[in-house]
Amino acid sequence: MMGRQVEQTRVVGTSVPRVDALEKVTGAARFTDDLQFGPDLLFGRVVRSPHAHARIVSIDTAAALQMPGVRAIITGADTPGFIGLYLRDRHILATDRVRQVGDPVAGVIASTEQAAEDGARAIRVEYELLPGVFDPFEAVQAGAPLIHPDLGSYDVASFLYPRPGTNISHHFRIRKGDVDGAFGRCDTILEDTYRAPQIQHVPIETHVAIARWEQTGEVTLWSATQSPFAQRSMIAAAMGIEPGNVRVIGNYIGGGFGCKAGVTMEGLAVAMARRVPGRPVKVRLTREEEFFCSFVRQALVAKVKIGATREGKVLALQVEYYWDGGAYTEYGTNITRAAGYSSTGPYFVPSVMTDSYCVYTNNPTGGPMRGFGMPEIHWSIEQVMDRLAEKLGMDRVQFRLLNCIREGQETVSGMTMHATGLSQCIKRVAKDIQWGEKEPPSAPHKLRGKGIAIMWKAPAMPRNAASEAWVVFNEDGTFNLGVGGQELGQGSFTVAAQMAAEVLGVPMDRVRVARPVDTRYSPYEWQTVASRLTWSMGNAVRAAATDARKQILDLVGRCWGETPADLDIRNGEVISYKSERSVGLDKLVICGLSMPGDRELIGGPIMGRGRFMPTYVTDLDKETGQGTHGMVHYTTGAEAVELEVDTATGQVEVLRVAAAFDVGKAINPELVKAQIEGGVVQGMSSGLFEALRLKNGEPLNSSFVDYRIVTTLDAPQEIITAVVETAQDDGPWGARGVGEHTMVPTAPAIANAIYDAIGIRFNEMPLTAEKIYLALAHKA
Amino acid sequence: MLSRPGLPSFDYVRAGSHDEVVRLLVTGGPDVRLLMGGTDLLVRMRDGVVRARTLVDVKHLPGMRTIAYDSAAGLTVGAAVTMNQLASNADVRAHYAILAEAASAVASYQVRNRATLGGNLCNASPAADTAPAVMVLGGRLVLCGPEGEREVPIDEFFLGPGKSARQANEFLTAVRLPPPRQGARGTYLKLGRNREGDLAVVGVGVLGSPSSEVPPGYAFSIALASVAPVPLRATAAERLLAGQKPGGAAFAAAAQLAAQEARPIDDVRSGVAYRRAMVESLTRRGLETVWRGLSAASSGRGR
Ligand SMILES: Cc1cc2nc3c(=O)[nH]c(=O)nc-3n(C[C@H](O)[C@H](O)[C@H](O)COP(=O)(O)OP(=O)(O)OC[C@H]3O[C@@H](n4cnc5c(N)ncnc54)[C@H](O)[C@@H]3O)c2cc1C
Repeated sequence: MMGRQVEQTRVVGTSVPRVDALEKVTGAARFTDDLQFGPDLLFGRVVRSPHAHARIVSIDTAAALQMPGVRAIITGADTPGFIGLYLRDRHILATDRVRQVGDPVAGVIASTEQAAEDGARAIRVEYELLPGVFDPFEAVQAGAPLIHPDLGSYDVASFLYPRPGTNISHHFRIRKGDVDGAFGRCDTILEDTYRAPQIQHVPIETHVAIARWEQTGEVTLWSATQSPFAQRSMIAAAMGIEPGNVRVIGNYIGGGFGCKAGVTMEGLAVAMARRVPGRPVKVRLTREEEFFCSFVRQALVAKVKIGATREGKVLALQVEYYWDGGAYTEYGTNITRAAGYSSTGPYFVPSVMTDSYCVYTNNPTGGPMRGFGMPEIHWSIEQVMDRLAEKLGMDRVQFRLLNCIREGQETVSGMTMHATGLSQCIKRVAKDIQWGEKEPPSAPHKLRGKGIAIMWKAPAMPRNAASEAWVVFNEDGTFNLGVGGQELGQGSFTVAAQMAAEVLGVPMDRVRVARPVDTRYSPYEWQTVASRLTWSMGNAVRAAATDARKQILDLVGRCWGETPADLDIRNGEVISYKSERSVGLDKLVICGLSMPGDRELIGGPIMGRGRFMPTYVTDLDKETGQGTHGMVHYTTGAEAVELEVDTATGQVEVLRVAAAFDVGKAINPELVKAQIEGGVVQGMSSGLFEALRLKNGEPLNSSFVDYRIVTTLDAPQEIITAVVETAQDDGPWGARGVGEHTMVPTAPAIANAIYDAIGIRFNEMPLTAEKIYLALAHKA
Repeated sequence: MLSRPGLPSFDYVRAGSHDEVVRLLVTGGPDVRLLMGGTDLLVRMRDGVVRARTLVDVKHLPGMRTIAYDSAAGLTVGAAVTMNQLASNADVRAHYAILAEAASAVASYQVRNRATLGGNLCNASPAADTAPAVMVLGGRLVLCGPEGEREVPIDEFFLGPGKSARQANEFLTAVRLPPPRQGARGTYLKLGRNREGDLAVVGVGVLGSPSSEVPPGYAFSIALASVAPVPLRATAAERLLAGQKPGGAAFAAAAQLAAQEARPIDDVRSGVAYRRAMVESLTRRGLETVWRGLSAASSGRGR
């Protein structure tokens, strides 16, 4: 582990331009759908269930097989294996029953996408309808239709606890302290229920995958994915082939936000390709499919009870989360767990009882989305904290400063909190938004308000989520940096290159990031999720560059008869502080050096290798959710919002957002700022506009016509960003992740500001103008 | 349930003359559709709502893309004039500002480079943003058919969602607006769920002008989008204003009447209660805005 002392750096900590900037702004960057396969290419389209819950009685493919251009058709019989990240509860194609609208039932391979679509429309599927359940709270009641009768036989990760015979696929519990006793000592107790709907990630690039079975029995998959390596192992397991025979190539990604993590539709391309060996088969989702056929953010019903003393100290918390995991919860189960072990939010609460349930419903499948449960739970936590402060007659900022978690305090899961700059973040945003000062509204029919919300989030992942990196050199002294993490717009390649350049003492333009990520040639990376790359992959990159550096200095030291401690690499040259000699990297990284007198050659191609795995993470107890080091660390932060509500229409205008996050160390401050701005805008979008409207599991607004998101004109007029740097002991140069976090507090901060403006609380997202106007009318 | 990937295939004909268009419409029947910007048509074809074998592109015919203004004859806008063309035209901005405002309320800037005024009206959507403006300005639609040209007042044009008085063998060539009323002020207020790119939850066009024909000395026209099967004139509200002194009380009462005249539905965009309330809020806001303009102009003249 790194020490906490501040290190002098040259590249790390500076806002160098992104390494992919030029090709992205000029349009030269190649995405998966841009790849050319020539006349061999076939297309696949998928027959999807129109029913939320039904038994498949028969599938008639005869007519479809006669259609022009159709090559082959696959059905569930072709994909008997189970697939899933944490809980293997689904098939690539439904076998005996469908559990959601959009469940894939058959796949058609044809010479063109249109022919495949025509073929898909000619397939006749007979269904026997089954009763469905569409609300997680109803789904846990006795007598609710059982969606996965075989739950007890599914493979499941050791830290998940499904309840066979029910719709509960995971139940995470916290039992900490004497909750009943603690509530008895509270002067003020509040109870409330909050809801968050399904929303979608809406990346600009919809899912796309191309697969080809080679003669050798290997399969190549080009996919727009956050998870090349997880796809390799998950698809191999589902298809009954060896992971070593699956090669996944991941090009640049046009946005993921979580929906391109794990496997959703990519298995379809692989299963189709198996029927036409040697021919690449492309499958891409339309925008409508994207809305409900990959992942959606899980909906949540949160029941919260909280108590404090009259001095404002929070003593007790009791929480029940009912997560609407949808038809399959192979990934969502772990969101339930993360929500449970973070259920206090960034507060110190001595006594806590939490039950977080992952529940099957016949709604679209839930999965990871930016924040991994945190935006949803903070929606409830941060509003209930506001209510509590108000009931106690305390200022909302002071109340948070009094109760927020501090270094050395015990977290809800029993870990000792590491150093954190949360209080600084709170003070900073309060200052930047001029907390306590109230400006008059800009027009007589408007009301103005301010709100604050704070957050925490730990990377959610299995203990063995590993990163690997390598460095190899070219003859000119430039080097190729191998990483397995994906560039999905967040800047991971840039920060990785900065770290390697820093250690190796070369300017940025000497670094080549080896892309695309290819599981055959790239080093291992578990997944590009959990905001973990800068931190975890960064540790591996630093180790790999350090390894190469050491080899170089040892080599030169031996040649010059000096100790490596007197040597350094500056601007691509090895220099000696003692002898003042120097030699360019290009002279030694491939062909080594000759010893003085030309007698002997030493060295050879240098290759640095590094890895990282958070081996120090411990399990959490099944009954109590307690453990000494259940997660690696928490990133914390705060946002404050000033807005106006138009009382004649209910429209909200977000005037200003102040945001501060403790990133440990900003490797690239401009990229951190970009993450904050993007997260604020996406958080605002979810808070004000976004909801997938479902009627008995059927989406009513699966297009941009009626699924509205923030545009540049809606976005806040001003976003004031601040970076706090309290070094993280297990991060490279002290860095922690910050990608997802920035979205977490925005929606509750907006809700709190709306309350400040109009005196009305809303427990369910999104806060549409219609909802606000009708509530105002009702109040008047 | 789910749309097809990409467009179904079709034949494209770039029409060479008015006669050719009519001939194709007569012989092709429902298999033939007229194409201008395509921002409605192509989307609906992809969604499978509209099926057509042949698209006849009419936007290149003479006059279809011209804007002609004459203080005596008024304004003639070719059917294929785009929203961005309309919004930036100096004559339109000077004399029919409400039309420019409505044109800029459509969709987003990129779509407005293709979306045309004629397409917006012929699509006959209740949510058409330019309809209220053309209605309060007293527009007439020029339709060309086998018997030559005829003009239809816009108040008689819309018959239901997607239905208009245009016959199957006719096409729209232009929209004519009478000379602007002296001293007129107008505004189009559109409420979407977010600021840009949404279809109107409610749209309200208000035009006011000094008038010696009504006792208060000012005449007001009001038209509504998205709150009935067709774009709608708020005639009861207009009548009330024809008999009352302009000002807060009259505007509030007129706005209430407009809300009663609306016949909104519940849909995924909004509910009935909100739509009705927004007709009231926006009508009132529109009347007040227009009145401020009229008052400023009259006090300016008085000085
Ligand atoms: C993303 C998006 C956002 C949109 N937002 C809005 C909005 O905010 N407000 C709004 O009002 N509209 C909106 N629209 C709809 C559309 O852009 C407008 O209605 C536009 O003005 C249509 O014009 P067009 O030239 O594209 O018509 P086209 O699509 O070419 O034609 C529209 C219809 O008219 C018929 N037609 C075409 N030419 C003629 C003719 N000469 N004579 C008779 N019939 C003809 C066509 O067959 C078709 O049925 C939006 C569309 C999109 C794709």
